[in-house]
Amino acid sequence: MGIVGTSAVLIFLSDRQSHPTKHLAEMPHEDPHPPEPVHRFQKQGFSYENAIKFFFASNAGLTIVILALIIIFLLKEGLGFFPGYQRELEVYRIAGLEFVDISRKNLTAHEQITSVLNRTYYAEINGKCAHQMRRSQEASALFNAYSDLTAPTRDLIVSNSQPDSSPSPEMIASLRTNFEKQKSKALATLPPTPHLTPEERQALIESIRSRAFDATDDPPLVASLTTEFAEAREKQVKPLEALRTTIDTFESAGSELSSLVSELTESVTATKEKIQDADILEKDRKTLLAAASSAEDPIEREKLVSEAQASLAQKPDIEGPIRILMERRPACIAAHQSLKNAAATVSSQLPNTLTQPEASRLLKVAHNLWPLFLADLEKTPQKITDWNHLKPVALSTAISSFITGKDWVTGGEWQDFYGILPLAAGSLMISIVALTLAIPSGIGAAIYVNQFASKREQSLIKPVIEFIQAIPSVVLGFIGILIFGTILRDLSLMDSLSWIPGFPIEERLNIFTAGCLLALMSIPTIFSLAEDAINNVPSAYAEAAEALGASRVQTTFRVIIPAAFSGILAAVLLGFGRVIGETMVVLLVAGNRIKIPDFTSGLGTFFQPCHTLTGIIAQELGEVPLGSVHYRALFIVGILLFAVVLIINATAHRFVNRMKQ
Amino acid sequence: MDANSLLPPADASVSVQHLDFSYGSSLALKNIELEIPAHKVTAFIGPSGCGKSTLLRCINRMNDEIPGATITRGGIHIDGVDIYQPSIDVVKLRREVGMVFQKSNPFPRSIYENVAYGLRLRGVRNKASLDAAVEEALVASALWDEVKDRLTESALGLSGGQQQRLCIARTIAVKPKVILMDEPCSALDPIATAKVENLIWDLKNDYTIIIVTHNMQQASRVSDNTAFFYMGELIEYSDTAQIFRNPSVRKTEEYISGRFG
Ligand SMILES: Nc1ncnc2c1ncn2[C@@H]1O[C@H](COP(=O)(O)OP(=O)(O)O)[C@@H](O)[C@H]1O
Ligand SMILES: [Mg+2]
Repeated sequence: MGIVGTSAVLIFLSDRQSHPTKHLAEMPHEDPHPPEPVHRFQKQGFSYENAIKFFFASNAGLTIVILALIIIFLLKEGLGFFPGYQRELEVYRIAGLEFVDISRKNLTAHEQITSVLNRTYYAEINGKCAHQMRRSQEASALFNAYSDLTAPTRDLIVSNSQPDSSPSPEMIASLRTNFEKQKSKALATLPPTPHLTPEERQALIESIRSRAFDATDDPPLVASLTTEFAEAREKQVKPLEALRTTIDTFESAGSELSSLVSELTESVTATKEKIQDADILEKDRKTLLAAASSAEDPIEREKLVSEAQASLAQKPDIEGPIRILMERRPACIAAHQSLKNAAATVSSQLPNTLTQPEASRLLKVAHNLWPLFLADLEKTPQKITDWNHLKPVALSTAISSFITGKDWVTGGEWQDFYGILPLAAGSLMISIVALTLAIPSGIGAAIYVNQFASKREQSLIKPVIEFIQAIPSVVLGFIGILIFGTILRDLSLMDSLSWIPGFPIEERLNIFTAGCLLALMSIPTIFSLAEDAINNVPSAYAEAAEALGASRVQTTFRVIIPAAFSGILAAVLLGFGRVIGETMVVLLVAGNRIKIPDFTSGLGTFFQPCHTLTGIIAQELGEVPLGSVHYRALFIVGILLFAVVLIINATAHRFVNRMKQ
Repeated sequence: MDANSLLPPADASVSVQHLDFSYGSSLALKNIELEIPAHKVTAFIGPSGCGKSTLLRCINRMNDEIPGATITRGGIHIDGVDIYQPSIDVVKLRREVGMVFQKSNPFPRSIYENVAYGLRLRGVRNKASLDAAVEEALVASALWDEVKDRLTESALGLSGGQQQRLCIARTIAVKPKVILMDEPCSALDPIATAKVENLIWDLKNDYTIIIVTHNMQQASRVSDNTAFFYMGELIEYSDTAQIFRNPSVRKTEEYISGRFG
């Protein structure tokens, strides 16, 4: 359209120069005679103004065409995803992977419970020897702080003073002075040791100071505290022997199922590979045939057709492996039954509480997991019997397993799943945090600046808030990782803050850190738009309210804010659009764990890492093979984002228009 | 001191004493001396920019918000109380001295809410008393019959004249003593103007009304007294009939007969 516009302008220019009065469009078509002289009121050719108008119209048209092209491109690349995914799910079923996953699911649950129980056990022991543990840790930490600083120089000196090396004496001397400098510096900045007596600390520092240059063993105090800790643990192990045995029994109860699953895994993976290879050959054959049908030269065509015929693969044998798989059905069912029996006994053998709070908490988690685990085990045999590899996979299954899928697993050896939920949940959780923080502060700032601030405050606050927008998001992400994440984690380790749900946090980068940074990024958007909305309220409203005897605050909150309400809502929506669409910060700061957050931890959920719709595209698009199902899945995610942001913007627009009326 | 007690309900007369007013460095009103009687309609006339609006806005202190605008000399008393003394609560003063603007400015809400607004600001919650007050104000402003079936519709759907009468209803709903009107009919057609003029005439019994107008006929129709301003000064002030029939200053006569302005 741009090109058309420009060439039209060119035509018009040359036309005007050579034949100032002639204009083809105005010639009557039937009339073969030369045109009558043009009346002086009549339009002659394009005017200069028309040309300018045309130029801008063509630019506006260009943007619309580009937008349409983007949509077409997204849809073209993306919509191929569903048939592709359908085929993948079909292979997943035909090859028997689905069958194995029925058992694997329980195995995973078993592993999870085992790990919780083991953590419980160690939490109990370590809790009981917490004092010795801390002393030992503190002493080691102090020694490590020293050796971290000095080790590189020390190693240099040691390696250079080997008999076979011949270093210059000056170099050794300078290294040594360097070492001494580092040593005194390290000794000046040792970490605190609240659980060591001052005498112990002094002794430790002395032993470090007077340490032989090439000593490799630990200082005596460190060694003795380590032994002390080990002995204390040893003592605690005795009373907990029963628990240990219970856990071990439970752990080994899974071994039968585990070996069965790995055996089956191997065979179904082989089948799957065969099917996939056949699929690829089939695709190649089709490409060759297509090329053949469009080839001009008969010899060439002949060659292509015969090539295609040669690559006609044998249909892979599916029934054989499946039969073997089905023969293992009774074994699977038996393994499940024995696991169920073991699980039922173990759960009754576990204590209800333990002495250490952390251990008790973990024990409770394990107890809570139990009923679900048992129920699943109960249902499994029926599922195994009912499973049928020939049950067709509908296209709607592919679509619904994309929309409601709880797993986004890609590039794995086993099976790829493209479920949007973990990503959507991540994006949504981050948005909730971001908007919870940004809405009050953005709108609050807008109200204050527009209604109450003095001219000087206005000229200070506005540029500062708007400046935030100018910070490149990658820089913000950087700050988020290095400063905010670290500060948050250090804060969460403080005993006095342990009442906050989710503290101490497990991951430095999580929903909350990302949400906070995104709040910072969306505040300028919300602030500017809300301030505009408030500013656009006609001053006559304020005047009328004041003449009615409204105070300043009444005028603001009962006249101006209600009048600006839809504009403010639009500001919030556009802020939301900004948050949902932001990529760099979430990629850097959200922790990128592709998993639906564990909502059982209440508000602590917000301190779990997550992955987002935008982040996944940025992270994976560069690595996927062009045209693969995974590639197309990312396009579908892109389409989804595009649609969401489009809807948000359209809604915001409607609010703005409503306000203008 | 409570401003309410300073402003007795009856006989709210306004007295402007030696008033000088300036916007920053430019003097807009010079030595204005004016006694406005209660329960009368007083018209301010004069060419554009002569300070009519400025004086009007001084009476309910709407000029307070304008940066740099101050009274440099003299003052205004309402029923003998200096309204510029520091102990005056501006919010309470404005409840007694209502104002209707040149351009009708209803809030973007329902007709009912517009009229009830001032009462709500004063904390009236009771539905029955709000209903009664709204009806009374709409009846008093001759709007009731036209809007009684669509009280919940947006006020912005009314015609210009109706909107202006709604603004008057909104003002009288809170029962002020003085009503200031700044060219209330300048944006209205003749029929709507006539309705508002009738309304002003009716309201005179209950309120002290001060009206700024550009329209000589209007001043002569609705007002009891007329003040003529010129370049920030009060040139002549007397009985309306007197000033239009037989002005004592030549400037007044020139203006009234349309030789300038
Ligand atoms: N907000 C203001 N700031 C500065 N000067 C003003 C302002 N309002 C009015 N003026 C000036 O004060 C003078 C009187 O204005 P105004 O009272 O509006 O006149 P009128 O209502 O009689 O037409 C004019 O010269 C005008 O320019
Ligand atoms: Mg005026």
